[in-house]
Amino acid sequence: MIEVSELTKDYGTVVAVRDVSFTVGTGEIVGFLGPNGAGKSTTLRVLAGFLGATSGRVRIAGHDIAEAPLAARRSLGYMPESAPLYPELRVSEYLTFRARLKEVPRAQRTNAIGSAMERAGVSHMASTVIQHLSKGYRQRVALADALVANPPLLILDEPTAGLDPNQIREVRALVKELGSDRTVLLSTHILSEVEATCQRAIVIDRGRLVAEGTIEELRSRQKTAAFTLRVRDEQRGAEAVIAALSGISTLSALSDESAPERRTLRVSLDRALDPEAAVESLVQALTNAKIGIHALVPEQASLEQVFTELTRHESEAQAAAEDSA
Amino acid sequence: MNGLLAVYRREVLSLWVTPLAWVLLTVFLLLQGAIFYSIITHFSSMPEVSADAGPLQAYFGQESIFLLMTLLLVCPALTMRVFAEERRSGTIESLLTAPVTAASVVLGKYAALLSTYVLIWAPTLLYVVILRKTGIVDWGVVGSSYLGLFGIGAAYLALGTLMSAMTKSQLVALLLTIFFEFGLFILGVGEYIFDPGLLRDVCAHVSMMGQMEDFSRGILDLRRVVFDGSIAGLALFLTTRVVDSWRWG
Repeated sequence: MIEVSELTKDYGTVVAVRDVSFTVGTGEIVGFLGPNGAGKSTTLRVLAGFLGATSGRVRIAGHDIAEAPLAARRSLGYMPESAPLYPELRVSEYLTFRARLKEVPRAQRTNAIGSAMERAGVSHMASTVIQHLSKGYRQRVALADALVANPPLLILDEPTAGLDPNQIREVRALVKELGSDRTVLLSTHILSEVEATCQRAIVIDRGRLVAEGTIEELRSRQKTAAFTLRVRDEQRGAEAVIAALSGISTLSALSDESAPERRTLRVSLDRALDPEAAVESLVQALTNAKIGIHALVPEQASLEQVFTELTRHESEAQAAAEDSA
Repeated sequence: MNGLLAVYRREVLSLWVTPLAWVLLTVFLLLQGAIFYSIITHFSSMPEVSADAGPLQAYFGQESIFLLMTLLLVCPALTMRVFAEERRSGTIESLLTAPVTAASVVLGKYAALLSTYVLIWAPTLLYVVILRKTGIVDWGVVGSSYLGLFGIGAAYLALGTLMSAMTKSQLVALLLTIFFEFGLFILGVGEYIFDPGLLRDVCAHVSMMGQMEDFSRGILDLRRVVFDGSIAGLALFLTTRVVDSWRWG
């Protein structure tokens, strides 16, 4: 549905996106991931046809965006980052305008607007002036706008930015539901969002593509797995026991203030080890040292670490280079 | 074409649901009323009025400097927000990612401004009705006078649209538009300043006051129409190029 090859976009002398290539297949929900300022919005703006690429090719639903821009734009629904809307219009007026602009045939217009409003959850706000809507509702109106022409591809730039937790959950559920019959590319800097909604992620940092793959593939790139360990440890000997085991190390250790013998440790496991055997030997060793284990919890938000590892390498290398210079 | 129509309707709606168009309408009508009133009181004290130098000709023609001054106020204020506001608020992003060409966007917006301009002028037809009660009105002159005003408006509004596309600030757009339109107006004043020659001919050609004087006597000079049309056409063409150029910003 989206084919990007060697896309580069610069603003004067600043290169925002450099040599990015990826594809998004029909029916996929793909997360476009990166820290702030990585070039996510720039890339999506190029895909949506708002910005022209400095070099490289982009095809949307088979249409080259440089050669057939209107056909490409017809097949996508785009939601810009800050959900810009005309504040003076009513929600229904705005969506009518957008439906006309997107060439929804007159006969289907009322239905199209109605169902877009329903899916985005703004039906009850149809006659409210946009000015008076909260940020969350504006975001939804922008989403309804992206949906109104029923495009096969949705490009959503940070659809959950600025929403409260309930709204975030609703939008995520909606994206999942929408993804059942169309392709969705959404950008975010929140990892749990990708884990919650996407099958695949593309990670971009400083304008370059740093990783691409399914959530599982990305997770397996992680070099270590982390566990949280809660123990009863009067002698404070847990670190020594852990240090004696190969491939397992302590990341941090905290004591309960009221009860110093209760300690919480973060333990990391080398990925090269068989995790089950490693955990078994860890428990064995702790039990032998008379340390009581209260809980051993694997850290699930492990994509967070992959992300940090992927996007920190460069900046650390740079910082090191700057230090030596 | 569908896109153009959608942009047009949205623009007209936005103009009239916000105070801007209403404020301009009110200011414009107050000024026009004052001008018309002073012309009428002036003529009412005259013992005899000739048929081709009556209050209508004075309003649209000899005294058109007042009328043009109000246009120098109203037109830039009408056009300043047309692109600048969309770029400042970011709505330009959703507009230009819809399947619509830059030319449709520019023409749709321009057509909306021109319609609003016509609507703002419409109530002045009452002046003609008032004059009709007390004397004879040459409807041909009324028609050609309004045509002249339409031409000037078409040129001014296109210039303003271009200026609004050049900047994200409405204030800068307003000032730039006033600068260019006032410059065009002043150029016309050159007709009365320079010695006979090429320079004076050029000034007479581009004079908005000269245009209104001709048209208020029922002289439909094609060159004037072509001049107005050229300014409008050139400005709109450039605006389309400017809108296209944003992709490369």
